[in-house]
Amino acid sequence: MIRVVLRRLVYLVLVLFVITLLTYIVFFVGNPNDLAARFAGRDAGPAEIRDAAVRLGLNHGFWYQYWHYLTGLLHGSFGLDFQNQVPINSEISRAFPVTASLVLGAVVIWLLIGIPIGIMSATHPRSLRDRAGTTFALTFLSMPTFVLGVLFLLVFYYYLTRAGLSWFPAAGYVGLTSSPGQWFLHLILPWLTLALVQAAVYTRLIRGSLLDVLGEDYIRTARAKGLSRRTVIYKHGVRAALTPVVTQLGIDIGTLLAGAFVTERVFGLPGLGQLALNAIGAADLPVVAAIVVLAASFIVVMNTIVDIVYAVLDPRVRLA
Amino acid sequence: MSQGGLIGVDVEQERAEEKDPELLAKGIEQEFVGRTPWRLAWLRLRKDKVAMVSLGFIVFLVLVAIFAPLLTALIGHGPNTQYTTSGLSLSGIPVGPGHNGFILGTDDQGRDVLSRIIYGTQISLEVGVGATGLALVIGTVIGLLAGYYGGWVDSVLGRFMDILLSFPILLFAIAIVARFGPSLELLIIVIAMFSWPYIGRLVRGQVIGLREREFVEAARALGASDLRIMVIEIAPNLIALAIIYATLLIPVNIVLEATLSFLGLGIQPPTASWGNMISEAQTGDLYTVAWWFLVFPCVALVLTTLAFNLFGDGLRDALDPRQGRGHLGAKAKVKRGARLLVGKLDEGEAQS
Repeated sequence: MIRVVLRRLVYLVLVLFVITLLTYIVFFVGNPNDLAARFAGRDAGPAEIRDAAVRLGLNHGFWYQYWHYLTGLLHGSFGLDFQNQVPINSEISRAFPVTASLVLGAVVIWLLIGIPIGIMSATHPRSLRDRAGTTFALTFLSMPTFVLGVLFLLVFYYYLTRAGLSWFPAAGYVGLTSSPGQWFLHLILPWLTLALVQAAVYTRLIRGSLLDVLGEDYIRTARAKGLSRRTVIYKHGVRAALTPVVTQLGIDIGTLLAGAFVTERVFGLPGLGQLALNAIGAADLPVVAAIVVLAASFIVVMNTIVDIVYAVLDPRVRLA
Repeated sequence: MSQGGLIGVDVEQERAEEKDPELLAKGIEQEFVGRTPWRLAWLRLRKDKVAMVSLGFIVFLVLVAIFAPLLTALIGHGPNTQYTTSGLSLSGIPVGPGHNGFILGTDDQGRDVLSRIIYGTQISLEVGVGATGLALVIGTVIGLLAGYYGGWVDSVLGRFMDILLSFPILLFAIAIVARFGPSLELLIIVIAMFSWPYIGRLVRGQVIGLREREFVEAARALGASDLRIMVIEIAPNLIALAIIYATLLIPVNIVLEATLSFLGLGIQPPTASWGNMISEAQTGDLYTVAWWFLVFPCVALVLTTLAFNLFGDGLRDALDPRQGRGHLGAKAKVKRGARLLVGKLDEGEAQS
């Protein structure tokens, strides 16, 4: 186990190195003076641009800047942003709870929808219920997140409000600590948007995986030795069928925690995705790099957790 | 039960019944000779009504994209022309579907929604098919090399694919597009760049299995070069897999294009793409009273991805009955006949 974690850590460092380097290259292929000019203010002369370059550290060579950035990272600091010279750490710590609320709530909903439908489909293959489940999955699988979000806003916010039913608030975010009720209300539509699309993926995943497992010989053995259908399906079948779900969940949580761009944009949630989009629009390189680094670390950390969960779920991994 | 396999049996039986008198004359053996795996797959696919309807819709989309200028000329409204008098009411509200000759209504700038959707079809297919094609080429080449040579080549290429797959794709695509300025070509390249590893991994897996097969060994014994073995012997066996996953990757890439355009980083207005139509609609408030210019592009996008997904599923069942949704458990119940058919398809593929 320790070896797995250690190997993962080395991998994390490798991935982070490659990703930060690529981000830097992407933004510095052009002329750093252009970048400096963007932040020097309106009607800036050559002197102001030079000042801006010095202030932002752009006057140094590429490798120097990159090294400076890496040492900062090792000290746990993402540095200052270009636009306002504010510590990026504080911007991130303001945005992260928003994204985390959105993603973790959605995860709960999509698992609660996806897994039961998937199990129902798999245990009654080719039945009407299975067909309904598959149709549900395919519909939402073909539904881009932003389409669902935009349509939700139109129907559940505008149309309902105009009909005199102000059940859902407009876009925006209210902190959990300032008002739990409002926090919940503001997140219902974003949660559903994210969750329904993901639930479709999980329905398909668990259906396929459970059907495969139920075709295994050991399931027949379990039935033959007299265990009830329920025990066989849930204790022997579902448990083994969860492995691909755990993998996918790790990837999804990792990716989404670094910003659910589309959902955040549609519903005006000031999370990491919005922060990244704004920073990209403003060519605020350090912020973009910070979020890319965060994203990659989330993904690799989640992968490590998945490896550990595997060992718990699947005795073959544990014993190997 | 293996659905694909069973459908195969049905087809066989039905054909046998249809041709019964002839068969009696010619002898049954002959009827079964000369039916290529592709033909078998087509017979299976033709039985799948959902897949055929989806295929019809895809063909329709392709025709719409090709004849977009002709169609908009027939409608009489250009995609970017603002019909401020006929397309907007006096108070500036867009005209609803079916009014003043605007079949799907107009948007907040008085432009014809249908004409814009028609031109959006062009963009969606260009990016979806273009990026998928590019990803297919890169993925197949890299996957072939990794799978065939194994060893350190495989380690390096495999790791590279893993790293690409653990990238925050959307974020990185956004960053690149923001840096270099959005264009159709860049969009295709960026999307392909992040989707080829999926194909690469699949191809690699297949090749690892194939390179130990007898026909490869035979080719090597006959003195064939590595290149020849890869291109002539192994690659043809990957065609079925490539077709299936390309069909399933196209909708993913179409959605990626639409998403980037929605975020303002894809196709730039006034050029119409479904993504930027939805985004433009959502930036104002007018869509809340004139739903059509928001909803119709959404419908176009969803129907298109749905059609590709359904067709891809059908194709998978038809070409690769072992892995499709039909495979799904109850393996033990697969009839011997079905097994034999599957085996036949497999053998045929290996030789085609």
